[in-house]
Amino acid sequence: MTSFTTPSDGAPTHPQLRVSDTVVARVAAYHACRVPGVLRLRPNLAQSMASIATRLFPPRDGEHRMPTDGVTAVVEDGHAEIAIALITRWGHNCRDIAEQVQSQVTEQIHSYTGLPATVTITITEVSYDD
Amino acid sequence: MTDASTVEGSDTVVAAEELDDLTLVVRAQEGDTRAFEILVRRHQRPLYRLAVRLLDNRSDAEDALQEAFVAAWRRLGGFRGEATFSSWMYRIVTNRCLKLLRRRRPVTTLEDLGDPPGPDGASPEHSAERQDRAAALQRALQNLSIDQRACWILRELHGLSYEDIAAIVGASPDAVRGRLHRARCNLAEVMTPWR
Amino acid sequence: MAVNGTRPQHDVALLACGRDAATVWERAVAGRTSAHDRSCPHCQAVADDQRLLATAVAALVEEAVEPPPSLTERVMGAVLAELRPSHYLPLPTRHGHARIDRVTAAGVLRHAVAQMSALRVRSCQIHLIEPSRSGDTSGDDASAESALGSPMVRIDISVTARFGADLLSATARVRQMILAAAEDLLGLPVATVDVEVVDVFEDPARRPH
Repeated sequence: MTSFTTPSDGAPTHPQLRVSDTVVARVAAYHACRVPGVLRLRPNLAQSMASIATRLFPPRDGEHRMPTDGVTAVVEDGHAEIAIALITRWGHNCRDIAEQVQSQVTEQIHSYTGLPATVTITITEVSYDD
Repeated sequence: MTDASTVEGSDTVVAAEELDDLTLVVRAQEGDTRAFEILVRRHQRPLYRLAVRLLDNRSDAEDALQEAFVAAWRRLGGFRGEATFSSWMYRIVTNRCLKLLRRRRPVTTLEDLGDPPGPDGASPEHSAERQDRAAALQRALQNLSIDQRACWILRELHGLSYEDIAAIVGASPDAVRGRLHRARCNLAEVMTPWR
Repeated sequence: MAVNGTRPQHDVALLACGRDAATVWERAVAGRTSAHDRSCPHCQAVADDQRLLATAVAALVEEAVEPPPSLTERVMGAVLAELRPSHYLPLPTRHGHARIDRVTAAGVLRHAVAQMSALRVRSCQIHLIEPSRSGDTSGDDASAESALGSPMVRIDISVTARFGADLLSATARVRQMILAAAEDLLGLPVATVDVEVVDVFEDPARRPH
């Protein structure tokens, strides 16, 4: 998997970074999980199936892939469109969590990839367990 | 940010497990799968016994019960509370089993009742005798017509009223009474050696 | 067999003594036999049959027939796999769109008032009040846009009340708790909370204060 590519036409005048959807999704998932009140991200059905497959058939190269479960990202025209589905912990304000995830992820994506990002949050569940 | 304790400092928390059926049904109707799960846990035992006695087969009973609960989840919107959840489920499970029995036609094998219960402190002869008696009755049940069997099981093993049974099997209370009596006579005849 | 005659039109058997066999059987079950029942050989035969079966029934009822523990899991697995359209409520955040599943949001409100011993929430529905398109609406919904310009919600709950509880103060308290929970735990702007008491329950196990 190529995470970063530089333009092949030699050294550009202004260094330009091209970033795949996957990179954006992984970075977004990493930071979203670390916002207080987020229990975990919520994979959609296709992602659940894929993660079962990964568990059954782990990659041979032993490379540790960061999860993207619960995140979809599309990079288009120099802009990242990110959707995150998450499960929050009881007792934390859902709107505040959503807002913090949006600002954290937007900021981190921008500082890591240079891309402006729009983040859509869906809270699917609230966990009462802990 | 507020946590649970500051929202309201008050008495005891009512666990969802303690809520009444109708409250759980309304919650389930509004999409709360956890409420439905509590209903399943609460009602599965008698319904499973019903299916085992009707079908005389534990794995068929399990399948029938699972299908009945899933059907109930789908049809929950139509439950208006004119019957109790329990009798509503009795109807779904009974009808599911009767449908299977009618399809099954030539009555299949008699025994799939698993391990008999262990000795319960009574003398071995006594408990073995009771087990044999129970097995003989279970076998005799399979020789009843499907309708007689359903009425007899709902009445004698589940203690339902004629009216409830009538609503479940879709017959008049008088017809239920007739079927029940014929079932009793047939069973008594088969059980005569145990007199 | 004690049965020797039938009345097809009534679907029940008559004994030789003219008694209805099913009735005699029911009396034997209830232990309320009449003098005739005890002396009549036909009725006695019915009572004998009833006793014979009762012993076998007791043995059958005693048998351990327990649903396997996996049954609930199987049922819930199938239930959760049923695809239902999800409905969402918008959460007013400053950047981008955010929303919460409607069933989840209702669950949070219910959980927030679960401590109340006087009331139990039965139905809890959160409705989005669509912002009025034209300016001609008057009344409650005219203020359906909060300060942030985001749509507001109306919360309808039905409750059952502990018998003897002060309904007025209990409903006032639950309304206020729902309002607080919607704001503090969900972050949803609430226009109104409607509380309807639909039933009362008895709570004999209630601990004294």
